[in-house]
Order: sequence, then C-alpha cells, then structure tokens
Amino acid sequence: MTIDTDTIRHLSEVSVSVEIETEDMTLNIGPQHPSTHGVLRLVARVDGERCYDVQPVIGYMHRGYEKLSEVRTYPQVTTIVNRIDWVSGYANEIPFIVAAERLMELVVPERAQYIRLILTEMARIASHLVFNASYPLELGAATPLFFALRERERVLDLLESVTGGRFHPNFNRIGGVKPAYAAGSNTRKMPQDLPAGFLQETREAMDKVGVAVDQLEDLVAGNEIILARTRGVGVLPQEVAVAYGVSGPNLRASGVPVDLRTTQDYLPYDRFDFNVITAENGDCWDRWHVRLLEIRESIKIIQQAIDTIPSGDLQAKVPKVIKVPKGETYVRAENPKGEMGYYLVSDGGQGPYRLKIRSASFSNISILPWILEGILVPDIIAVMGSLDFVLGDVDR
Amino acid sequence: MTSSPSETETTSLQEFADRVAGAVSGVAELQFGTAKIKVRADSWVEAHRTARDELDLVFFSWLSAIDWSNQVEVGDPPREEVEERIELLSGLSDVTEGNLVIMSTDLPVSSPRIPTLVDVYAGANWHEREAFEMFGIDFEGHPNLQHLYLPESFAGHPLRKSYPLLSREVKPWPGKVDVEAMPEKGRSDEPSTENPEA
Amino acid sequence: MPTWVIDLFSNFWVSLGGKLLLVALLIPLVGMVIGFAEMKLSAKMQARVGPYFAGGRWGWAQLIADGVKFFQKEDIVPTDADRPVFKSAPILVLVGTVALFVVIPFGPGLAFRDLDVGIFYALAVSSLSTVGILMAGWSSANKYSLIGGLRAAGQLIAYELPLVLAVVGAVILAGTMSLQGIVQAQIDAGYPYVVLQFIGFGIFMIASLAELSRIPFDMPIAESELVMGYLTEYSGFRFLFFFLAEFANMFTLSAIAATLFLGGYWLPGVPEDVLAYAGPIILIAKVFLLVFAMIWFRWTFPRFREDQLQRLAWVWLVPLAILNIVVTAILKVVL
Repeated sequence: MTIDTDTIRHLSEVSVSVEIETEDMTLNIGPQHPSTHGVLRLVARVDGERCYDVQPVIGYMHRGYEKLSEVRTYPQVTTIVNRIDWVSGYANEIPFIVAAERLMELVVPERAQYIRLILTEMARIASHLVFNASYPLELGAATPLFFALRERERVLDLLESVTGGRFHPNFNRIGGVKPAYAAGSNTRKMPQDLPAGFLQETREAMDKVGVAVDQLEDLVAGNEIILARTRGVGVLPQEVAVAYGVSGPNLRASGVPVDLRTTQDYLPYDRFDFNVITAENGDCWDRWHVRLLEIRESIKIIQQAIDTIPSGDLQAKVPKVIKVPKGETYVRAENPKGEMGYYLVSDGGQGPYRLKIRSASFSNISILPWILEGILVPDIIAVMGSLDFVLGDVDR
Repeated sequence: MTSSPSETETTSLQEFADRVAGAVSGVAELQFGTAKIKVRADSWVEAHRTARDELDLVFFSWLSAIDWSNQVEVGDPPREEVEERIELLSGLSDVTEGNLVIMSTDLPVSSPRIPTLVDVYAGANWHEREAFEMFGIDFEGHPNLQHLYLPESFAGHPLRKSYPLLSREVKPWPGKVDVEAMPEKGRSDEPSTENPEA
Repeated sequence: MPTWVIDLFSNFWVSLGGKLLLVALLIPLVGMVIGFAEMKLSAKMQARVGPYFAGGRWGWAQLIADGVKFFQKEDIVPTDADRPVFKSAPILVLVGTVALFVVIPFGPGLAFRDLDVGIFYALAVSSLSTVGILMAGWSSANKYSLIGGLRAAGQLIAYELPLVLAVVGAVILAGTMSLQGIVQAQIDAGYPYVVLQFIGFGIFMIASLAELSRIPFDMPIAESELVMGYLTEYSGFRFLFFFLAEFANMFTLSAIAATLFLGGYWLPGVPEDVLAYAGPIILIAKVFLLVFAMIWFRWTFPRFREDQLQRLAWVWLVPLAILNIVVTAILKVVL
C-alpha cells in the first residue's frame, strides 16, 4: 500500500454525496479479545478498514507490586516479582535478587550463577516459543502453535523438575539458588544439588528444541502469505524506538545492537560465545525472525554452560533473617521481553523502602499510539502481536 | 564473576559519572555500581537535553519517584531522619556501551511540580502519567496528564508513604514470618517429607 | 424391485417427498462426516490425536455429540438485533448449499434433478449464501459482526467472478451446461477436462476456498481479530446451521469441481454398466481428495489481508480466467 495517510484522510473527508458520507466508527478492541495478550483495551477510531487513532487503555491488571513490596521481606518479594512477566517466570527474579546481593556485597557461588544462567536461558526459550506459537495464530496459521507449545512443554517440565514450578519458580534465594533440601532438616548431610540427570536431560531437550526451531522456520519463514502480512508492516525506526525506551528483540529488529547480556554483569554471560541477533528493517517480520534466531542462541549458551558448569555450593552463607544494608542500586537485565530493571532503595530493614520495577512491556507498548496511526485493522493485530508483550509486565 | 563490580569497572563508571555530572552541572554519586547524578529542579529539562544531545544518552529507560517521609502508613519508617521530599528519578542509557545514569532531583512534598520531559524524550509520556497518578507530581506542559493505571475517579496518590494499604485496614498481616518452623519428627498424620534412607 | 415400489415412486409427489427426505438426511450426514474428517486430519497434522472419547477410542460420535449440544442450547437473540433478519440469515445460507446438492450427478441418471442449465443454476444459487452472510453481519448489532459482514460482502462478490469464469472453459469444451452432459462429454472424449483446463481448475479451487470463507480467505471470520466476524452473535442451533452449511458447502463445491474437471462419477477404464453402482463411490472418492486439499490448506496458511485478497481476485484471477476462456474458445474452433 503506497497511498499515504494524508491522502486517505482527505479522501474520506470529502463527501461525494450527502447520502454516502460516512462517519468514523469507534471500535473497542478488548479488553476481552483473542489477540490482546491479556486485558489490554485499544480504543480505535476506524473508518472502514483504516484506523486513525488508537489509544491504549491499560491498568486492568494493575496489582500494585511496588506498594506491596514495601510491606514484604526480601524473600517474600521474590514471590511477587516472578508474577510480573509470567511467561518467562524465572527471569523476573534475577535482577531483583542481584540488586539485593549487590547491596549486601555478597559473593554468589559459581555453581549457583551457572544454574541461574541456565534457567534464565530456558525461560527465554519458553517465552520465545510462546511468541512463535501465538503470533502465527493471530495471523491465521494455526499449526505452528502446536509445534512450538509441544517443545515448550519439554522446557517447562525441566524447569518444574528443578524448581517445582512451571511458571512461578521461586527458586532464587538471596545469595544463590535454593538448596535442594530445606535447612534444618535431618537430611542436611545429603548433597544439596540439582536433580539427578537434569543436565543430561536438558542437553537432549535442547537438541530436540533445535530441531523444532528448524521445523518452525521451514513452516513459517518462507510462506508467501506470512511475508505479505508482515513485511513492511509496522516499521519502527531506530530513533523512535530508542526515544520511547523500546528494548529487547523489538529494538534489535530495528537495527540497534543492544543486548544487555553482553554489557551487564548480573550473570556470567561473558564466558560464553553467542551472537547478538539484529535485523535491518524493523518491521513485523524482522521482529518475528529475531526471536526465532534467539532461541538458537539460547540453546548454544545452555549447551556451553552445561559443559562447563563447576561444582560447589548452591548458596552463600547468609543469616536466617536477611537485612539488607542501607543503599540504592539499579540492576538491569535482558529479559526475554526486553530490559527489565529494579531500582532498589533499602533502609537497612528486612524489606525494601522503595522498589521501582522497570518492566519491558510497559515501554514497548507505549509506542502503540505512534506505530498504529493510519494502519489497517488487520495490521493492528499483526503489529501488536509482533511486539510480544504480556499484560502482567505492562501493568505490574 | 562476583555480583559487585570489579576495580576497573568502578573506575570507568566513576569517570563516566563525572563526565556526565560536569556536562549537566550536577553532583555525581556512585554507589553499588549505579551512577546517580543529582541536578537542580529548575535545570531538569536542560540536563536531559544535554544528556541526549551531547552525551549520547539517547535511550530513555524509565522515570519514577521516591517519597522520602518520616511518618509512613505502610512498612517501616526510616531508621534515621530523612529530609522530607519527593525525589524524582529518571534512567537514561546509551546504546553502544551500556552505560546508564540515574538523574535525580528533589521536589517539595506539598504541590510538587516540574516541567515535562516529553519534548526531549517521547517515551516520558507514559512514565510521567504514572508518576502523576502515583505521587501527585504535576508535570507542566504534558499533553495528556491523566490517570494511566487507576480509574478516572480514583482519589489519592497510592505510592506516597501516607497512603495506607487498604487490605491491611481490613485484615492485619499475620506477622513477618520469614522462616517457618519445621514439622516435628514422628507425626504420623502428615506425610513425611524426609528421605527415609538418610 | 417389486412392482408396487416402482408404481409408488412413479407418483410425482411420492418421489418428490422421497427425494426431499433423502436430501434432508444427506446434508447433515455429509456435514458431520466432513467436519469429523477435518478434526481428525488437522489433529494428525498438528501432532495431536483429535476426538478420542466420544463413541469409543476412535471418537467417531464427536460431531453427533456436538450436534446434540448445539440443539439443546438456549436461543439467544441480542436485544438490539434485527430479529427477522437475524433469524432468517442462517436459513438462507443453508438453502444455498442444499439447492446446490440437487444438480450433482452421482451416477448416470442419479442426480436429484438434472437441469439443462445445470451449472448456471448451481452458480446462481450458491450466491444465496452471500446474501445470508451479509444479513448475519448487519443484523447482529455488533461492530465486529458488521466489519465481518462488510469484509464478507467484498470478498464473496469479488470471488464470484473468477468462480463463474473458470467454469466457462469446461462448458465450452463440453458444449452443454447440464452437469450430466458435461460428464458424458468427458466420457466421450476419454479424458477428464482437467488435462486441458488446469488453469480453470486451479482458479475454481481458489475461488471456492474464498466462497467458503476458509483460511487463507478467512477475513470475514478472522478469529483472532474479529472474534468470529459475522458469526459472533450466533449460538445454539443457528450456529449449527452455519457450521453445517460450511461443511456441506465444501462437499458440494468440491463435487461440482470434480464433475466439471475431474470426470465426475467416471474413471477411465471403468465400463459403463458398472458406473451405475460404482459411480457414487468414485465421485465421493474424488470429492474427498479435494476436501482433503482444502483442509490441508486451512491448517498450513495464515490468512490474507482484505486488500491483498481483493488484489489477488481482480488483478490475477479474473484476467487469467478470461485468458483461459479465450484460448479455449479459439482452440475449440480451430482444432
């Protein structure tokens, strides 16, 4: 479509004859809708199939985490925090725990850091597989859903075998990860570690996920209809993306090679060899493709980590009642959805004085009014799906 | 790899913080790996414009506030007396090296107001709306200063320390239980979680 | 056959009643079988099992159970809906399908009614469902349904043209519009018309996918955007009508394609006297091949956007179909 929006607006405002002059229609997309990834409401002014003005209305899922965290202790905050982006549950806990450990100036054992890294990358694979399942479904192709979710089941089963939870692991503790048997038990003498066979099963599962990613690429990537629906649709230029704070695969698809795994030291990513996937155009197809290729990179990282995982403790020595000394710090991490950060203000007590949660999807969808202006109604769905947001992440 | 920054990282971060502080005429403070630059409230927008144009901090990460107050309705009051103010924070970053600064300024608690950052960073729009509804900060010149998360008719500013958690009024928290006691040995009516072969 | 049966059925009214009964039984049966085939085939393509519990391990009674479920649901008509239009829309859609059933030749002399203008009648009557869909979209008092109905209007009207034009090539080759006559012409020629009319066949299949509003031409329903498009407000047995109409229409359009292009109830090499008994089986086998292809496309492709869909129809299919007609006519005269 090469007609620009100004011409369209002019054409629709010109009245050909009194009887067929039409008004705009206000269409409410959501909050209950198959494609809005949760309770997002878009109030769209639509003329036929072309939409002029889209205002997102959010807050249907606001749970007040920042206020709640002021009356919780640090381990209790961990349980709230992994419900922010529930698709990649494990990855939400990490920056918060690292912030608390930074204020306490704790040294986390190597083995715990490697385990955290493996589980974070598995959460990233799970999140990107959900995207690869739901995005073609929004365009109309129903089959990739089943392929991707079947692979995700492998990853979630592995996560459950280690942490006990598929979506809300609660596996991190201040100072490391949860030791396998609770403290104070009679069985403290047994080795506290990952379940037997976990590393081997993970390696095999990663091979199978790699095969499935190839299948998905075959099925979806070359399909002419997918290309027609996503190429050139919803182009996000670099300057706009950066000014709005868009992060993660969305930013990398617009050509900005920012990957916080390479610049931040919250987990030992610098020991592993992986590529930062970027694309050039910043349209929906690029955003989809970047996420598919990132699954392969995560598989590489996990395999390298499994090969070189050291032995050791799973948790540093911490007192029973954890009090974090006074201080402020900001830790940012590369979550599957984008940049997630926690600004932790501690006053020396058992809980935070103020916790500011910078969630990725909040900034990612603040761009919707800009990007959806003058777009066709089916393309609204295509663009929204390609931004890959979750309402828990938006609303906190 | 430890979780606190190494010596060389701290020095380069200190250099970066000093450079930023010099450019925006603020005071740099480095703690726990985070560079915080305190500027005056009347040069808030200018400081951001300088940061964006001259220091290459083009990525707008977030904007929020802290309510420093000695009397709190929720949680514990601060252990030492703090100066009562609303501290406005914004996070800016560059896209090449991953340097991030937190710009901060202080606003008075009663009627805090400050010019908007929307002309400098378009992304500040929603963050400022959230700060407005949560803390009551008035952003002058904002195109659409309305509630973002809360319903239109909501009164009060929830993230202020003087705003109570209403669920606590109804039912008190049963105490800060951090570590529960283990079940006693030998109880036969509950399944044991211990390994019988230990 | 005993003579009293033949005498009974030579009475016009009795035979009419018998035919009506047969059609009334066949349509739901065909709908259920094809619907079940879709469930099972799609499950196989997606590494699932499909219906499993209804009727034993094979799940064959799933659609019977679905039919009963739909029947016993509450009949909800939205308050703001236009009641007479809302209630009659599903009937129109089903009528279009049933009327098509009448002219399909299942064997030599085995059509419900063989008309001289068979294919002309079939194409005209299949457009009734378009009207029904528009009525459904308009009367539902729901913005999503309205958008779905408008998309359906554009799409169905746009694809009527390639559907009709694609058929003309076969009619030219056969020299008659009667469906029995076209099959007979293929028997006389010795080869099915798809050999010469492959372009027409391709266009007919694509246009019939669009007429059925199946993916990839699924914009009027567009489940992920418009909830269910023009079907959003329909529930209970009204939805069952639409549901059955879609599957029965798959059968009828595929049967017409098989008759026109694939040789209908005839296979090369089968002697004529066997055709009276084997004809229906051969035709149904061909129909199931085409239906399988339709199901396969539905689960592989995403959907076209409305403007891309229209571009495909007007810029590609209509000129190709016209070209096909011109070439066929010239070759028929020359050769």
